Amino acid sequence: MKPILLHGHERSITQIKYNREGDLLFSSAKDQQPNVWYSLNGERLGSFVGHGGAVWTIDVSWDSTRVVTGAADNTCRLWDCETGKQLAKIDTSTAVRTCGFSFSGQELFFSTDKQMGYECEVFFVDVRDPRQMVNGNSYLNIPILDMPKVTSAVWGPVDEYLITGHEDGSLCQLDAKTGEMQATQKEHNKNVNGIQTSKDRTMFITASKDNTAKLFDTATLRLLKTYKTERNVNSAAISPIRDHVVLGGGQEAMEVTTTSTRVGKFDARFFHLVFEEEFGRVKGHFGPINSVAFHPDGKSYSSGGEDGYVRIHNFDPQYFDFEVEY
Amino acid sequence: MEEYQEDNGSDRGEEEEPDFNDPSDYVDDISDEELLGDLLKKKPKEADGIDSVIVVDNVPQVGKERLEKLQNVIRKIFSKHGKIITEHYPKEDEKTKGYIFLEYTSPANAAEAVKNLNGYKLDKLHTFAVNLFTDFDKYANVSDDWEVPTKQPYKDHGNLKWWLMDQDCNDQFSVIYEGGEKTGISWNSSSGPVSIEERARWTETYVRWSPKGTYLATFHQRGIALWAGEKFKQVMRFNHPGVQLIDFSPCESYIVTFSPMVDTKDDPQAIIIWNVRTGAKKRGFHCENAAHWPIFKWSHDGKYFARMGPDSLSIYETPSFGLLEKKSIKIEEIKDFTWSPSDYIVAYWTPERNDIPARVTLLDVPTRKEVRVKNLFNVGECKMHWQNKGEFLCVKVDRFTKSKKAMFCNFEIFRMREKQIPVEQVEIKEAILAFAWEPSGSKFAVLHGENPRISASFYHVTKGKVEQLKVMDKKMANHIFWSPTGQFVILAGLKNMSGAMEFIDTADFTVMNTQEHFMATDIEWDPTGRYIISGVSWWGHKVDNAYWIWNFQGKILHKQTIERFCQLLWRPRPPTLLSAKQLKDIKKNMKNYSKQFELKDRMSQSKASKELVDKRRQLMESFRDYLEECKNAYDSTKEQRLELRGGIDTDYFDSHREDWEIGRASCRERV
Repeated sequence: MKPILLHGHERSITQIKYNREGDLLFSSAKDQQPNVWYSLNGERLGSFVGHGGAVWTIDVSWDSTRVVTGAADNTCRLWDCETGKQLAKIDTSTAVRTCGFSFSGQELFFSTDKQMGYECEVFFVDVRDPRQMVNGNSYLNIPILDMPKVTSAVWGPVDEYLITGHEDGSLCQLDAKTGEMQATQKEHNKNVNGIQTSKDRTMFITASKDNTAKLFDTATLRLLKTYKTERNVNSAAISPIRDHVVLGGGQEAMEVTTTSTRVGKFDARFFHLVFEEEFGRVKGHFGPINSVAFHPDGKSYSSGGEDGYVRIHNFDPQYFDFEVEY
Repeated sequence: MEEYQEDNGSDRGEEEEPDFNDPSDYVDDISDEELLGDLLKKKPKEADGIDSVIVVDNVPQVGKERLEKLQNVIRKIFSKHGKIITEHYPKEDEKTKGYIFLEYTSPANAAEAVKNLNGYKLDKLHTFAVNLFTDFDKYANVSDDWEVPTKQPYKDHGNLKWWLMDQDCNDQFSVIYEGGEKTGISWNSSSGPVSIEERARWTETYVRWSPKGTYLATFHQRGIALWAGEKFKQVMRFNHPGVQLIDFSPCESYIVTFSPMVDTKDDPQAIIIWNVRTGAKKRGFHCENAAHWPIFKWSHDGKYFARMGPDSLSIYETPSFGLLEKKSIKIEEIKDFTWSPSDYIVAYWTPERNDIPARVTLLDVPTRKEVRVKNLFNVGECKMHWQNKGEFLCVKVDRFTKSKKAMFCNFEIFRMREKQIPVEQVEIKEAILAFAWEPSGSKFAVLHGENPRISASFYHVTKGKVEQLKVMDKKMANHIFWSPTGQFVILAGLKNMSGAMEFIDTADFTVMNTQEHFMATDIEWDPTGRYIISGVSWWGHKVDNAYWIWNFQGKILHKQTIERFCQLLWRPRPPTLLSAKQLKDIKKNMKNYSKQFELKDRMSQSKASKELVDKRRQLMESFRDYLEECKNAYDSTKEQRLELRGGIDTDYFDSHREDWEIGRASCRERV
């Protein structure tokens, strides 16, 4: 499959996200300007201009009207998806590391880094309430005191809780109304780099610096499957239509020079969801892959890399015929 | 009373010395021993002198007329080891008895005489038996309480060649990993490596297999340990503290160990040669430096071993471990020597000296006859390469140009099996990077040139000439690895050439495959020539440590990443027991044999599949159950989802993409 190369960022990609319908692909990078693209042909729709630092995280509401981003300039900003206009700016004490719209799209959460004396905190704001969309007025904020900072997070299936991944590899379930820590789990032993849910949100997959990705049950945080590699996994996603997961990762930038500098050596790896066996690899990136996502229809997937490129891959017919014998 | 002078001032001049006399009634209590100990030791004792006496037996029995002549002869021979002070020729009936007594000035002389002259052949009928006089006493007084030594129970180590009986004819290899902490033994099976043994701290540095694969040698602070048999039990230990290097004799009967630590002037212990089966120390040697290990080179079957000195070649024979013909061969300025892999021939070279040109000499052992000599001119350096069957010898000669400013190289090819060993010259204009003979074949490969323009040339040696078969340009290679069975070769760029590997069939010089194992430090063919292992050793490169298994065509079979992988060695196989004719017959009937093996392979593959498939089925079943639960949970929360999205059933729209437009319209309405 010949991929579509999206070249619009000058620095490494930090996160990519499809909207619910899949026609739009959002990308955030260290270059301060997130972009939105047509996933069909890779044409760039526009950029969200305003941030003053590396943008770590991006999300789009289910109805594709609002976009939220968090950045190293200590702000979390809300944008109009169609026009690209900045709708609100929430100032924070430290860099915003993760963010996301709730299922209903009416709330969003964001987490800040533990830096310069400030603790890591998770904030919940109601998007419809303008008063909350300024600093400090979140309806709920949860300081993360006894645990290492939050590195990634997703909402539960019906917004009842937030699932957070932490710097030491642990996972938590935080009640979305009270902020109470309902459950906690530690299966990874290093940074949880990314969390993505399955289509029906009953399961989620975590990508970790400990060279594995793991599949968990959302409600109980029970470990279901482990996918092993020999490199740092930055991002993992579950196919919406098949028993496949894709893992993207690679060595940290500093160590890259010790591996082969042959063209396009960094690969996305496909594993069977149930059998945990690797069945394919897709090469092409010139640096570690930082974010992967399946298109909601499962017929393609995208990856964003340290090299600043986003690559959209449409699967060949063989992909759909491929069956692991059992 | 001691006298004591007072000092009265400067008038007196010099002081008188104080009196050191003993008081008059003083008797000293010091013994003679304390005062004169060393002198007393020299005081003649009654029993003295016996230690300096030797008894010589098998002396010709002569009458009075020839006695004086005999005495002169004896005196002349035995004076070599010291001054003789007494001679005694016992007589009976006017004739000497046939044994004599000689006394030297010191016991050391007597001992030396015994050492050197015992067994001295005076003439055809008389070989001296020389012994210390005191020995007679010693042996006469052997205790009658001699106990029969207890019989050592026979230690049966099992079938040491057990691994050769493997049904699937798989080979074994040893792996050192975790930075040297762990050593493991694995089978190379068709489905990948299967580990059979893993031990922590089995060796302190590295391991070596014996030449026929019977033993695994491990290194320890105190010496070497040998392991063998199905359970890899310790079968022998050699105590040699600080051992650094070892070498086995080709027949596996002996092992040579080197340690720089224990050498003393009188008892050479730097190099020790042991008997492998009994563990007995056979002989020790001095060694100043072991830079060019092995110092001792063995003949192909272990009958002789040799080492060179600055101007000599010393050849020893086994099992006596004595110097062949009791003296070394004098070869002035000998630079290097090698044994033929098939005959008792030593090849050595000497540099130019005065008017004598440099030369390569082939010497027959033990006759010491020079079977071939080749003079060479303007020689800088020579390196010898034997083909593995001893059929050819290649000497790589680095020569100076006439102006002595540049070096160029040529090969002298000796065709050993032809009458008078003809020598052919092959000249290469570029710098040589590597040279290798095809095992059991008559081809050789040369890598020459300079990065990036390196070429590989292949030559063929036939009766009468050496012809160039093929030159391949622009190779990224600095090593040549022939298959042990010949025909196939890998040109590899190791270490700083980032692990490029080219698999070539030299029957028609097709490049079967071009591959890469990035930063590979080692490449090893298995003993059968079916598989190759390429490895990135932690000793050379600190990341990506792993070994990869390829088949001889260059197809990757398995990649094994191991934590801090260090060294992999295939277990050698002993030479085949089949005769040349039998091998030929098998090759002719290959089709029949291959059929039964193919069937076996297929069955083993499907067997593996079956196990895997069963495992997968189980996994899928249990996961399906889980998915059922998920579905139920999802269905049960449908109401909530509808509510959260203001009544819009996005579940429906996500599964029915054809109705998207309607869905989108609904969204816009809501907003």
